[in-house]
Order: sequence, then C-alpha cells, then structure tokens
Amino acid sequence: MGASTGKPRPIVVSGGGLAGNLAAISLANSLGQGFEIIQIMEPGAPPEDLVYGHAADPEIYNFLRRAGLGEPALILATGTSFSYGTEYRHWPGSGGWMQCHHAPFPTIAGIPLRHHITRAGLALEPFLISAQAARAGRFAHPPSDPDNDLSGAEYGYQFDPAEWTAQLDQLVAGSRVRRITSPIVEVAIEDGLVSAIQLENGQTVTADLFIDANGPSRRIIEAAGGRFRTERTIRAGLSVRETQQPGPPCLTIEADAAGWTSKAHLQTAERMIRVGADDAGAEAPSAVSIALGELSEAWVGNCVAIGHAASVIEPLTPAPMIMLRRDIERLLELVPASAGMTVERREFNRRFLEDVEHIRIFHDALFLSVSAPEEPYWQAAAASTENAKLQRKISQFGNRGILTSYDLEPFNEEDWTIAHMGLGRRPEHYDRQIDGLAAAESDQALARMKQSIRQLVSKMPPHNVYLNRFKQYLRRQNHA
Amino acid sequence: MPETRPPAIRQIVIVGGGSAGWMTAAALSSLLPADQVGISLVESEQIGTIGVGEATIPDIINFNALLGIPETDFLKATNGTFKLGIRFLNWGGLGEDYIHPFGQHGVDMNGIDFHQFWLRYKADHPGSTIEEFSLSAVAAKSGKFTMPDANPRSVLSQLRYAYHFDATAYAAYLRNYAEQRGVQRIEGRVTEVHQDAQTGNITAIDLDNGQSVAGDLFFDCTGFHGLLIEKTLGVPFRDWSHWLPCDTAQAVACERGDAILPYTVSTAKTAGWQWRIPTQHRTGNGHIYASHLLSDDEAIDSLLKDLDGDVIGSPRKIRFRTGHRAKFWEKNCVAVGLSGGFLEPLESTSLFLIQEGISKFIALFPAADMPSVVRDEYNRQLVKKFEQVRDFIILHYKATTRDDSPFWNYTRTMDIPDSLTDRIELFREAGRVFRYEDELFSKPSWVAVMMGQNIVPKSIDPIVRTVDPAGITRSLQSMKSAMTSAVSNMQTHRAFLETYAWSGKDAERGAGGER
Repeated sequence: MGASTGKPRPIVVSGGGLAGNLAAISLANSLGQGFEIIQIMEPGAPPEDLVYGHAADPEIYNFLRRAGLGEPALILATGTSFSYGTEYRHWPGSGGWMQCHHAPFPTIAGIPLRHHITRAGLALEPFLISAQAARAGRFAHPPSDPDNDLSGAEYGYQFDPAEWTAQLDQLVAGSRVRRITSPIVEVAIEDGLVSAIQLENGQTVTADLFIDANGPSRRIIEAAGGRFRTERTIRAGLSVRETQQPGPPCLTIEADAAGWTSKAHLQTAERMIRVGADDAGAEAPSAVSIALGELSEAWVGNCVAIGHAASVIEPLTPAPMIMLRRDIERLLELVPASAGMTVERREFNRRFLEDVEHIRIFHDALFLSVSAPEEPYWQAAAASTENAKLQRKISQFGNRGILTSYDLEPFNEEDWTIAHMGLGRRPEHYDRQIDGLAAAESDQALARMKQSIRQLVSKMPPHNVYLNRFKQYLRRQNHA
Repeated sequence: MPETRPPAIRQIVIVGGGSAGWMTAAALSSLLPADQVGISLVESEQIGTIGVGEATIPDIINFNALLGIPETDFLKATNGTFKLGIRFLNWGGLGEDYIHPFGQHGVDMNGIDFHQFWLRYKADHPGSTIEEFSLSAVAAKSGKFTMPDANPRSVLSQLRYAYHFDATAYAAYLRNYAEQRGVQRIEGRVTEVHQDAQTGNITAIDLDNGQSVAGDLFFDCTGFHGLLIEKTLGVPFRDWSHWLPCDTAQAVACERGDAILPYTVSTAKTAGWQWRIPTQHRTGNGHIYASHLLSDDEAIDSLLKDLDGDVIGSPRKIRFRTGHRAKFWEKNCVAVGLSGGFLEPLESTSLFLIQEGISKFIALFPAADMPSVVRDEYNRQLVKKFEQVRDFIILHYKATTRDDSPFWNYTRTMDIPDSLTDRIELFREAGRVFRYEDELFSKPSWVAVMMGQNIVPKSIDPIVRTVDPAGITRSLQSMKSAMTSAVSNMQTHRAFLETYAWSGKDAERGAGGER
C-alpha cells in the first residue's frame, strides 16, 4: 500500500440531471487527485423529472452543504422554501395528520412520550412543535439550545428539482470534473464489464467505474446486465402555479377516490403533482406513465446505478430524494480501492436492497388502513403490503406501543410513531413502565408541554415573513 | 381512552441465585414497587454457582448506575480492579501480541475513521501499531490508571474502562441489595414444577422442604441445568460448537505479584486459550479448551504451568455448551444467564449478556397475559445480540496463521457465518468497517482485532488519499505525544486502587478458580 502516485483512475458519471450532478460534485469533492471524474451529458436541458417530488428531509442539509450547496444559496438563488413535513388530508382510513419531521421526542420521568399519550388517551400532534408550527403556517430556525422546545423542530425543504440541478450545474462547471456533452452511441461490454462508452462526437471514454445516473433509460446499467423489476405503475402529472408569496412550511397531500394530489409551497410558485392509477387517463396535460420498482442489483460488474436508474419510488414522502442521497453516500463509502470490486459490490447491493425495503414498508404502512378499496389506484397500492418486518412493526406498536426498528432505516422512530398515530393506530395497552408514575403527574407534565408549545408557536413569524427576513439577512451578509 | 387492562403481574419467582439470579433480582427490585409486585428468589446452598465472567466490558457501569451502586463500595465488596482492555497473546500467530482496548483509537477527523489515517501513516512509518494511539492501550501497557475526564477537550476523555472482580462476591453484594428492597430469598431445591393444564404456563414450583412457591412469571437462572426452560418447557438449544469448538474449562486462582495489571490477558494455547484476571486479592486463571482435542490432565498441566504465582486450591472443571435457546422467553418463563445461552468469555461478555436479558425484559415489561407479540420481540432482540457477539468471537479463531495443532487447523479453515465473511473481506479490501446500528462492539473494536490478527487492508480508503500525508503525520504525532504525556502523569493502577477503593482483604485461600 503506498501513496497513490500513478495515473489518476477515471470514474465516469453518465447523466446531467440531479443525480448525475450530485454524484459528480460529491465524487470530485471527496476523492483526491488519484481519481479523475468525467461527466458525460446529453446536450440540452435534462428532461423534467417529477418523480423526485418536491420534498427533501432534514438530512439533506448537511449532504448538500458538503457538496458545496449551502442553505443561503438554496434560499437566495432558487425558490426553495422550508418544510416541516407533509400534511395528509382525507387519507383513506384515517382522515388526516401532519407527518412532520421531529428530533427525538422528549421523555417524561424517563418514559417515552407516546406511553403517556396512550395512557391519557390523547392525540400526539399537540405535543409536536413542528406539527403545530406547520399547521399555523409559521417557521423559525431551531436554536441550538436543547432546552428550547423549538430545538425539536427539524426541517427539510420544499424544492424544485430542476432549480437544484441548475445550481449544481454551476458548481460542477467550476470544479475539476471534466465534462463531455455528447449523446451516447454505444456501451461496449467485455467479460461482463463496461469497457468503454462511444459518444456521437467520436470520442471513446474508458474508465474503471461507471455511474449510471441516466434515470429510467438505464442506458449503461442495462447494458451491463442490470434488471429492473416493476412493482406497479402509476400515472402522474405536474402543474405549476405562480404565487405572490409562499404558503405554509409544509407540503400537503390530498387523497380522493382516484388517487392523490401533492402541493408544494415554494417561494413564488405552487407545484402540484397529481397521481392516479395508470389506466385512469391523463388528468394533467403533462401526465406520464411511471413504472415504480427497482433494480434487483444496483451495482453490476463495474457499473453503479443511482437515482431513478436504480429505483423509482412514488413521491408520496421525501423518500425519492432520501434514496438518491443514500445512493451517493453508499457509493462514496464504497468507492472501490482496486479493480476487483466484488466486496464493495456485495455490500452496496445489500444496503441498497435494505434501503428499498425499508422505504417500501413505510409507504406500504400508509396503505394498510385502506379497507376494501374499489378504485383502481387504491386497490393497486394496497395490494402488495405483505412484509414480515412491516407486520412486526404494526403488531408491536398495536400491542403496547413498542417501536421495532431495523438497521439504519431511512425513516426513524419519530417518523414511524407519527405515522402510526396519524393513521389511527393506538396501542391496545399502555406500557407498564408508566405505572410507577401517577396519572395526575404525567397529565400535568403533558398539559405544561402543550401549553408551552402553543405559546412558542404564537411567537413564531409566518413562513413568508421569516423567509423574507432571512433573505434580507443573507444579502446583508453577502455584501459585508 | 377506555382500556381493557389485562391483570398486572403480581408475583415474580426467580429460580437460581448466582450472577444471573441476583442481577435479575436486584434490577427488578430497584424498578418495581415492592407493594405491587412480589419478587422471590429460590436457591439452594447445596448447588454451587458458576460465577461467570469476572472480567467485564464498560456496559457493567450502566448496570451498576441503574441500581445506584457507588463504585467504591462495589469495588471494595468484590475485590474489584480496573480493566482497560484485553491483551491477546499468540492469537494471530505464535509470538504475537496485541491489545483490544476499550474506547477508540485516536480521533476521527472530517468524518473519516481514525484507522484510515493511521493506515496512511503506517505506509511511511512501518513500525507503527494502532494501539500507540489508544489511551486505554498505552495506559494498560504501562500498568497505569486514572479516571476519564468528562471534558471532551481533555485527552483523558478518551479513556474507557470496565472491571475485574469476584463474581461470587458480586452476587452476594447484589443479594444484600435486593433483600433490602423486599426480595424474599427462599432456601430450597426444586423437586417439582407445576404447569397449567391448558396454557402450559408454569404455575408453581415445589421445594424439598415441602414449600410450594407460586408465581405469574418465572425466571430460569438455573445455569446449564435449564430446569424450567429445558427440562420443563422443552425449548430446544441451538448449538454453535461447530464455530466455537471449546467445551470445557479448568479454573484456578493463584497468588498475584505486587503489581496489578489493569487488563485481562488471553493467551492462545494448543487447543484453546487461557485467561488471567487480576483482582485485588489474587489472580483468577482458567484454561478453556476443546475436550476432544485435549485431555483434562493435559489441560490442567498446561494451566498450572502458565500461572504467574503460587496456586491457590486445585482446579475446578466446568463443562459447557456454546449456543443459545431457540427462545429465551417461552410461555411465562424467561431464561437469563447460562440457561439461555453461553458464549465463551473471550471478550468478557458473559455478564453483559445477562444484563441484556434483564434490560430488554424491563423495556418490554408485560402484563400477566404475556402476549406472544411481546415475547417474539424479546426473543428476536436477544438472538440478534447473541449472534453479534458470536461473530466477533469467531473472528479471533478464524483470523490466524497458526497451523501448529489440529485445533487451529480446524478454526483457521472452517466455514464462518456469511455476515462475518463479508465484514472481513470489506476490511481486507480497503479498511472499511461497517457497524450495524445497535451493535455492541464498536468500529475500533473490530479494527483492533482485525489489525491485531493480521487482516491488513490491501489499500487505504480512496477518500484518505486527498489528505496531505505530512498533515496526517503531524496530527498523529501530536496525538501520540499528548497520550504519552497523559500516561506519564498517571498513578500506577495499584496505587490508584489503594487510595480509591482498597478492600484490605488478604488473599483468601482454599476457594477454587474465579469462575
């Protein structure tokens, strides 16, 4: 093992959309001069990719910052707004709830919040600062002081993927990534490995490792032998409406008999996605048919698929963006040290499939309470919710409010608690741990908590006011 | 919300004393109000206990803290000493020597694991070992000890420790604790176990003194007998001896020298290994071996030959079976300790596994109906813990170049669980270590053992290649000198103990080994 002195090893990223740009800049930032990063792009703007949806979870903050795209740039240069989560309305089997992001819930006398709430027969939402603020349309950055209730209010973003792609485009252009703009003519395979990519401009690009970020065309990974499994298909269309000022700091998803409509409240636009059954006919002019599913292996030979080339997830939660982030993180952790990549490939695929499964069970959980659906969309969505891990989560929570978790799940215990309770699941029994604490004592603590959250929310500024002030502040900083 | 509440548990019966029984009794009595839940513990003075595992890992500190036990009290009562890690001799190959310390090596920088920087550093400094960068290891090798500093800026904040102690004395200490909190100790041997004809639940046990003890919930702490879980409920055992072929131990105590080492020693032998555990008043020793490859007499000779002080008493033989119950919790019976499962104490996990059995039970504390969903979750979590510890222990046997006996030829070439193969290969490729979320052994532990037993990465993580090697050398050398100077200011372990928690007891003669 010596210092790397030889010629830089090339890594090719194919694709110029959100996935391609994020992968290219992340690789260039993380890997040293021992690697050359080459990005191959089709000419012209990448096509609109509505399957990323418009929701990003709180963990995207650090990920984008490491890529060089900080919050100030997102807020000043794009229409990105803040998001405490997603409000589900008229959801079958439940009515509705606020699926908010939240830091680990507080405990009372060392016992988790949910047990107190279960014993008292109360709803969860009044105790969640981010849910209350979202409903009131108010926002403020969480303080670092952990004793302040607002510190629990984690937030993500409402965003337009095309705008983020454009920002990243500038970053990549100013980086050491070597870009080639020319359509792919042929992917050459030798001994099961991608040996070269032929471009229309006559260039032949060779590399040790190829990243397929070409979206559903899967141009390279399919040539390498990757196989996509379609779980079901949906029909989705995008519409955009200009607005004067942003709406609440959360997305809304409204269900109806034929499907659902999500609405994201960006700084000067509302972006809506309509999703229904595939055979329901186009409802928006731009509606397209989308195959949901994933590759049986995302890393085949020397080719790694990321983003929609690897998995296509219904944009019902921040999951599509979570998956893209995880695809890239997994790749960075496992950039192969040598040409034989068996070990890295196996670990990558294991974790890829776990991420896919863990996201799927969270989505499936949303459809479990849809009883006897007759409409085609709901029928299809509720059809395949059999999963041992999901069954365990539901039965453990339903019995005694126990949260079963698995390794490195993308949705954490707070997400699951909020979803369970939002969907109307209540533990049959409360946890015996709590018997040691008098009900009156825990009721008092709950009342205090609720009151302090109510007061805090009333002092927070409306989302639009906060955004404007924050932008003014950032501009002053930029000048200074 | 109106709730149809199943009746609460009113009476808990723990069958068997020893570490498992009294740890269970102490923990339950500290949490359950004595006026609502009765706890009794049945044990017989005629049945000896196997004081399992006097060497521990840092989690024991949490257990004592949960009970509110003052550290100095505990150390005096159990002749306890401090432990900074385990020194492994002859494991990777004959003549080899490394320490698996508690706590981490060095400091992670920019989100990159420390050992990656060290691998880069080693490329230019071939003589370097990773334990030079562990404060616990450096202090251990110098025979020194001090308390960690809570201030994260201090180099002393990196120190982690556990204890060595007399497990029989610990059980006695916890007995006193539990009895003060209302646990009723009943002397007697179990003669019969009664079960409900319909549910199969255990309803009561009869004792040889004519007494009958009824309960809603029974803990089986009867050790390898498995009186309730196996003899009564017939829960099968999953045998892991094909991965861990040792099945017998010979244990004996010896006089210790003036110094007290702040670490456990594990020396690999021809067909197993020997432990050395220093307590305040003597040294515990034991030779663990595969009985089909080594006779008892040979094992005893080898044990006695390698004592570093005069022998006290004569060796005691312990037979064991490696593996675990298919279910730790069946019907209204929970098996804690050896009745639930056994893994040789190579990484000092015996008391930890008991602790997990208790704490996971407390987290899932059931009503008297004990629904199967609660039991399933308990069983799932415990099996996972056992498997994680198992893989780590197997690593020690697999990662070796020893070919000097049939024992090592077997372990070196045996098939190992896929989960472990993947881990070893990932590390060998580029030094990558992935820790599963709630795993006991941290990344530094895996790194210490893999590096210590010659699983050397073929190359370093490409991400480290961006960092300037001169900068790495500067950072590492400053870490090293900070550690060296911190250790030079520490007292010896013995001097520290003498002022902190000296029991003042002389060596007790006559008792057998420490286990």
